[in-house]
Amino acid sequence: MADPFEPTIMAFLCKWCSSAGSDLAGVSRIKYPHNVVPITVMCSGSVSPMYILDAFKKGADGVLVSGCHPGDCHYIKGNYYARRRMALMKELLEYVGLEPERFRMSWVSAAEGVKYARLIEAFVEELKPLGPQTKLKRMVS
Amino acid sequence: MEKILTKQALPRWIEQLDAYQIYAPVREQEGWKYAIVDTPDSVTLDYPNTVLSLKSILFPQREVFLEFHSQNGRDLEVEELLPGDAQSVIFGVRPCDAKAISLMDKVFGGDYIDNYYWKRRNQTRLIGLACNEPVSPDCFCNAVDGAPYSTEGLDILMTDLGDRYFLESVTEKGEELLAVEDDLFQEAGKKDQKAVKDLRSGAEKKFERKIPELQNMPEILANLFDSDFWEQESMSCIRCGICTYLCPSCHCFDINDEVETAAPLKGVRVRTWDTCQFPDFTMHSSGHNPRSDRAARLRQRVSHKYRYFPEQYDAFLCTGCGRCIDKCPVGIDIVEVLNKAVDYEG
Amino acid sequence: MIDLAALKKEAKQLLKDEKVTYLLGYRQGSNGHRAVPAFIREPEEVEQLTWDPTCTYNLTRYLIDEVRERNSSEEREDRPVGILVKGCDNRAINVLLQEKYLRKEDVHVIGISCEHAGMVDEKKLARELKNQPVMEIEFGEGDRFVVTTEEGKTTISAEKILADRCLECKASYPAGAEVIFGDKVKREFTRPYKGLQEIETLPAGERWAFWKAQFEKCIRCYACRSVCTMCYCDECVVDSIELAVTADTTAEEKARKVRWAERSPVTSENFTFHLTRAMHMAGRCVDCGECERACPVDIPLRLLYAKLARTADKMFDYEAGSDPDQPPLTSSFTMDDPGDFIR
Repeated sequence: MADPFEPTIMAFLCKWCSSAGSDLAGVSRIKYPHNVVPITVMCSGSVSPMYILDAFKKGADGVLVSGCHPGDCHYIKGNYYARRRMALMKELLEYVGLEPERFRMSWVSAAEGVKYARLIEAFVEELKPLGPQTKLKRMVS
Repeated sequence: MEKILTKQALPRWIEQLDAYQIYAPVREQEGWKYAIVDTPDSVTLDYPNTVLSLKSILFPQREVFLEFHSQNGRDLEVEELLPGDAQSVIFGVRPCDAKAISLMDKVFGGDYIDNYYWKRRNQTRLIGLACNEPVSPDCFCNAVDGAPYSTEGLDILMTDLGDRYFLESVTEKGEELLAVEDDLFQEAGKKDQKAVKDLRSGAEKKFERKIPELQNMPEILANLFDSDFWEQESMSCIRCGICTYLCPSCHCFDINDEVETAAPLKGVRVRTWDTCQFPDFTMHSSGHNPRSDRAARLRQRVSHKYRYFPEQYDAFLCTGCGRCIDKCPVGIDIVEVLNKAVDYEG
Repeated sequence: MIDLAALKKEAKQLLKDEKVTYLLGYRQGSNGHRAVPAFIREPEEVEQLTWDPTCTYNLTRYLIDEVRERNSSEEREDRPVGILVKGCDNRAINVLLQEKYLRKEDVHVIGISCEHAGMVDEKKLARELKNQPVMEIEFGEGDRFVVTTEEGKTTISAEKILADRCLECKASYPAGAEVIFGDKVKREFTRPYKGLQEIETLPAGERWAFWKAQFEKCIRCYACRSVCTMCYCDECVVDSIELAVTADTTAEEKARKVRWAERSPVTSENFTFHLTRAMHMAGRCVDCGECERACPVDIPLRLLYAKLARTADKMFDYEAGSDPDQPPLTSSFTMDDPGDFIR
């Protein structure tokens, strides 16, 4: 029997909240799936739509953008910009036919290790039935 | 060899050519393109001209040269990838597009033989369709040493005589294609030859666009090299690649390594079309760009076709298909530019 | 009906009084019936000016060249450039003003109303006339066009041959322009977002198949980008090198430069280009439709940008180019922007 499909998630986590939240999940020894590749960014507001496209292009099965809760941004308002931009990005990706489950945004604070772990768990479960993401994946050869 | 083929018999002829991959113009939305056809019945030769020229088949926009991969990041395995071995026949080639291929033959077959181009070229037979009238108001083949029934670059030329085609083989490859089942073709008679002759002289007269002093163009353009003329004519140019990408004879390209996965390393080396109309075409790694403005770029496009190429190969690098005029988003018209160049005093 | 003579008179006066450096307008093209962009510098050249249903070009595109030139020139030019704008073009100017790319004093806007009609779609016209060559197209009475062919003049209703963008137009005249030629008409037949609705209602799988087929046609000539007023970036994500490379750039810096999209016109790279451009159009695309008209392979690009335009409208109550003083869509926010997609 073939190995069950394990999706790869590319996660853009802001340095101040979500990345710290994922650290907390780690140091608290909370179990969660190992499918995620975390990339720390300075702020969710610094995540360009191109990062997301590039992640899908490099074969990510799902992409997560996570930042501080509204009002908590280290740069005061970066996550508000992110919220607007990602709303547009999500609409666009779904419009061209990418499965809506493949792109997610969340707010995870530095204290929410448990929330982060559960979030990844749920994301992985949602991605599994979809199988590998091939629509936007780069295939040049 | 001259033969007659009734229009109803065209599918039968194509069926006979089952050893070949058959390409023909196929309708796609508002335009036409060359595509492989599976059913002989679907070949219709009732079309103006394709949006992308014949070069899109013989000199494709993307050509993979080689594939490279490495398991450990040190030892590199490289595999050359030449085009496949399929022999093909392309139907419905307009004489302007075929002539452009003969010009490309000069480029890719000069001091340096381009194996990728020639493998495809040698495996392909071109069956042309003469234009009994200009297919667009922008046509000007007979203004640049061409003709609507030119056989240059073709293996066979077909002429539409209403209910039948007049077939004329130009090369040995063409004769082979006509050497099939006896009752498919009839011998061409005097009457047919006269009909063709009349059509041709009639067609010539229907082309209205002219280029005065064509043979002096290299000199005229040389004298204009430093002139304001180019700034005036290129004012509305938006530097897109339409004129050159749709051109049947433009052949500039770029070569890049494209990586699919970094670890383990896997990728390809590809050739893609490139164009002198893009600002980064001549960008040096120093940051200096010798052709940095639109005037220099228009000058390059026109001069390459009407000065440099004739100086090097004794032929104009333009076959008058009119695509660059028809599709230019801002109405830049190479015939008008050349006409103005002749009269320009400044 | 637009009074072309009055328009010419106004243009001539502007040039005579040296109130503008030059005038961006339309003139008759060289071959056939189409108009082309005109750069008019002398009062006597004003006679070239024309206005007909083939004046599709969004001339604000040339303001980018002008701004670049002004920025790089040492001499300060005080006079503005004169420019003819339709309703959609005027919204493009508003976006440029919003983004502070253009200064109000650098442009003298002459508005033209499309009145009951709009711009003709050449492909629809060819279909309607079964490819008969067209010698002239004029505005007729109301929403009708008068087309001259070898067989004489025929009248065709606007709905049949109008460009899709005009059929979905939201404002047929440049609201807010100081001078407007023609009547401010509210048209009855326009249906904003009609095309978008047709695609939106398809199942996801079919939407993917649709866009995949469209983008696979792309030959990356970048005409959509080149013809677009909004694409004024000095360096585009799809150009391997551009202005960022200077004499001081080291080889290492060059090698490290990210290549977001390869040159190969394959599915993944074409998607990267078009989706990136789409995101850059969010809140900026004024639906002048020039990209779609310029595209040599008929990719329905308007349908892509319309999605984001409508999303901006629905979610953030934002319409591109409607207000030159409003902050741009993606560099602003409100505390209560929708966030229910965030989990």
